[in-house]
Amino acid sequence: MPTSPRVLVIDDDEDFRASVRSLLENHGYVVFEADSGTDGLRKVVEHKPNLIVLDVMMKCCTEGYGVNQAIKHQEEYRDYRSIPVVMTSSIELSPDELFPMAGEVEMIRPDYYLTKPLDIPGFLQVVERAASACRSRNAGEA
Amino acid sequence: MSEPAEQETIVIIDDDYAIRLSCKKILSKMGFRAETFEDGAQGLEGVARLKPGLAVVDLKMPGISGMEVIARIHEMDPEIVVVVITGYPTIDTAVAAMKCGAYDFLPKPFSPDELRLIVNRGLERRRLAIESRRAEVERALLKRRFVTFVSHQLQTPLVAIHQYLSVLKNLDHTEDAAAKRQQWFDRCLARTGEMQTIIKDWLTLARIEGDTLSRQRVKVDLKRIVADILATYEEMAGQNSVSLEARMPEDACCVRGDRNCLSVLFDNLIVNAIKYNKPGGKVTVSGEAREGEIEISVIDTGVGIPERYRQLLFDEFFRVEDEGCKKTAGTGLGLAISKKIVSEMGGSIVVESEVDAGSTFRVRLLAFRAQAGEEDNNRSPDELSSEEDTDRGR
Repeated sequence: MPTSPRVLVIDDDEDFRASVRSLLENHGYVVFEADSGTDGLRKVVEHKPNLIVLDVMMKCCTEGYGVNQAIKHQEEYRDYRSIPVVMTSSIELSPDELFPMAGEVEMIRPDYYLTKPLDIPGFLQVVERAASACRSRNAGEA
Repeated sequence: MSEPAEQETIVIIDDDYAIRLSCKKILSKMGFRAETFEDGAQGLEGVARLKPGLAVVDLKMPGISGMEVIARIHEMDPEIVVVVITGYPTIDTAVAAMKCGAYDFLPKPFSPDELRLIVNRGLERRRLAIESRRAEVERALLKRRFVTFVSHQLQTPLVAIHQYLSVLKNLDHTEDAAAKRQQWFDRCLARTGEMQTIIKDWLTLARIEGDTLSRQRVKVDLKRIVADILATYEEMAGQNSVSLEARMPEDACCVRGDRNCLSVLFDNLIVNAIKYNKPGGKVTVSGEAREGEIEISVIDTGVGIPERYRQLLFDEFFRVEDEGCKKTAGTGLGLAISKKIVSEMGGSIVVESEVDAGSTFRVRLLAFRAQAGEEDNNRSPDELSSEEDTDRGR
């Protein structure tokens, strides 16, 4: 019997984490939470989730993009590079508009970019697609 | 104005050698860098290269006409002041020149004084125009920054509420939803309250700035204000394991002001001192009455404020959002509001702090002085009458 897909939610708003946790748990996911970039990276290593839902966290030096960068780029996290990242933000701007100089700095894009508040059916679809893709990849590799 | 002004450049375009020479002499003596050109084409090149503040242009020149030169200078940079000189002044030419972008008209022959006068006036006007343009740009930037900032502040709780509601809808049939519903309603209400506080604080700040807050100017004893605030927060401080103490002098600490504003002023400081404190920590509010001045200090044994933030502390857009920093409720406007109130009263507020040890906020306000005709029962009659004499003597 397949184990439930694991989702890590990294967001500094505890209410947002609470509602997303309930939503995902009720749809058969196992959910882990982190309230900051640092905490998030630690939990990626600890739980090796199938999907990361990551808030931009613009309040503190674009924390979210920092995490995304780390996972997809840094040697330290190479084992976790394949985990899809769904980035969420209440800002409508796409990564390109937010960071127009990005071309020079090797800005790593997240796999998905969703605006908050999340459209629930859309969000669930993305989660399903991304998490199962990751799991089958892992199963294939095993 | 004690700063040395950057040397202004003035360009003179006239085919008459004598005019060029005398203008150059007069203007150089005034402290300007004066460059001359004998025709329109060279003059325009010179203007493009030197970027002068002012240009003196002769209307009647061979080659490119004076009118054309004026028009082209105006096109290049409308902020360059153009003074037209001509030996054949008529109303028509004057009007035509103005339409091309000239600032003023100087008929030949003109005296050095007339030239000096027109040049000074023209440059003054230019300076004012540049200043006001700069102020407008700044204002527009501030406005945009404000709008972006407040939108984001309000967006965050709204998103949380929206999320709760849409998840509740999605999970409506489940047991989990039934169990969580009440709790989540409470959270939504709390976040709504948060938005209301944000709006209220911004309005308070705007009203203090805009002077629309109705304010009294009466005698207020700060000892009472401080005592009342400390009493209000006794329970909350207890919950945070923080002790409160007032160390006020024997005498009253009276200032002239509005009771409500003064309450808000110290309330913000004391609440911060409790919130940013450590368990087992302490908040001390001490007062000192000096000559003509009352100083109230709010001292905490809390987390302190890193050096790099101290300049920004009283800025309404500023909030310490370091990762790992305790997430405290509040709009971050408390200090901005307190500072505005202090400034309004002609006082001062400063902060001293040491990271991990604590912070001290010192507020200095003018001590209450009875005005002529007012009763002041704190002071002895001798003091009062000698003061009145001094007032009359002024």
